[in-house]
Amino acid sequence: MTTLVLAALAVLLAGPVPWLMTRLHGFRRTPRAAMVLWQAVALAGVLSALGAGLSLVTVQLVGEQSVRSYALSAIPLSLTGLVLARLLLSGHRVGTGLRQLRRRHRHLVDLLAEDHDGVHVLEHEAPTAYCVPGLRSRVVVSSGTVSSLTDRQLAAVLSHEQAHVRARHDLVLEGFTVLQEAFPRVVTSKQALAEVQLLVEVLADRAARRRQGAHALVSAFSALLDGGLVQAPEGAVAATGSDLQVRIGLLLDDHRHRVQAGVLLLLAAGVLVLPTLLVVLPWLQGLAG
Amino acid sequence: MESLWDAGDAWRTVREVHDVLARDRDIAYTTVMTVLDRMARKDLVEREREGRAWRYRPSQSRGAMTAEVMRQALGEFAEEANARDRAAALVAFVGEATDADRQALRDALAALERRSRA
Repeated sequence: MTTLVLAALAVLLAGPVPWLMTRLHGFRRTPRAAMVLWQAVALAGVLSALGAGLSLVTVQLVGEQSVRSYALSAIPLSLTGLVLARLLLSGHRVGTGLRQLRRRHRHLVDLLAEDHDGVHVLEHEAPTAYCVPGLRSRVVVSSGTVSSLTDRQLAAVLSHEQAHVRARHDLVLEGFTVLQEAFPRVVTSKQALAEVQLLVEVLADRAARRRQGAHALVSAFSALLDGGLVQAPEGAVAATGSDLQVRIGLLLDDHRHRVQAGVLLLLAAGVLVLPTLLVVLPWLQGLAG
Repeated sequence: MESLWDAGDAWRTVREVHDVLARDRDIAYTTVMTVLDRMARKDLVEREREGRAWRYRPSQSRGAMTAEVMRQALGEFAEEANARDRAAALVAFVGEATDADRQALRDALAALERRSRA
């Protein structure tokens, strides 16, 4: 019974639930709560998948033990191990890969860019602004960016990047990248990563808006794009509207949506706590008793 | 590093680099040696042994290094990094834009300006 419930939960949390969440675009109006919910769903999904496997093992091993029960328990045990191994391997690969790329990039930035109070200015006319996340993070802008923005616009861009760095958005993205690489065939893992990437940008946009106002940020977008920031080939962006359009729309939204935020946070708590209380505790008590 | 770049492709010993730097400022020979050693480990400079001393030269020109940084910043290395999508090696302010994006920006700016006047 435990196994069935946990397995059903794992399937739900890996498929239909994230699928639904990527379609409920209203979630993006409360990006922080939505982000918490995404993480809760991902964590609960992984835990229930592992829990389902382990509970099958214990079902076989509790009570009379025979060669048959050992043999039967080996199957779910190895499946659980396989899931865990995939996750760990993917985590290791993504982690070392990202850190290596960032380290190399940081070395180059330190060598080439001038440090102005923690902002690294790179001598190049193409406007760009980004951060190299990590413990030794760098916020980098090109001289083209500095010259094409007003002080206020530049401040908005910088607070956007500093928000990424401060809130360690890279760690959230890394977590979802690991899931996506470990289970690339679970289509929703890719959509989840894309949605979380968007939410991270929306959160940083909000931080910049709080400090410098929506107008500074939106006009900074505009100035950077006019300055020749990469032009995407038409059609490369989904017909439902690009991330940038979504971000602009959300920047115009001044409401706080407290009720929605509250509901999403409750759902996040629920998706982690309820299975634990209803399924895992009785199962553990059953084992002990 | 600047002094190595000034020398172009030529190999320089620590002594030669130090001589150039010491003209402008007070800098210890061992500092130059340490910095060059560290840069070699970061692959920013190449080195080869000549007798008992190391000789150094930049691994790429300043322009080539800047181009590498910009290429990475503009997201092209996402593909190099084994299709790790736009995954989070660097987090860019704004990636790419279509004409529809530009239109949306213009509309938003107009809306914001109307709002501030109201």
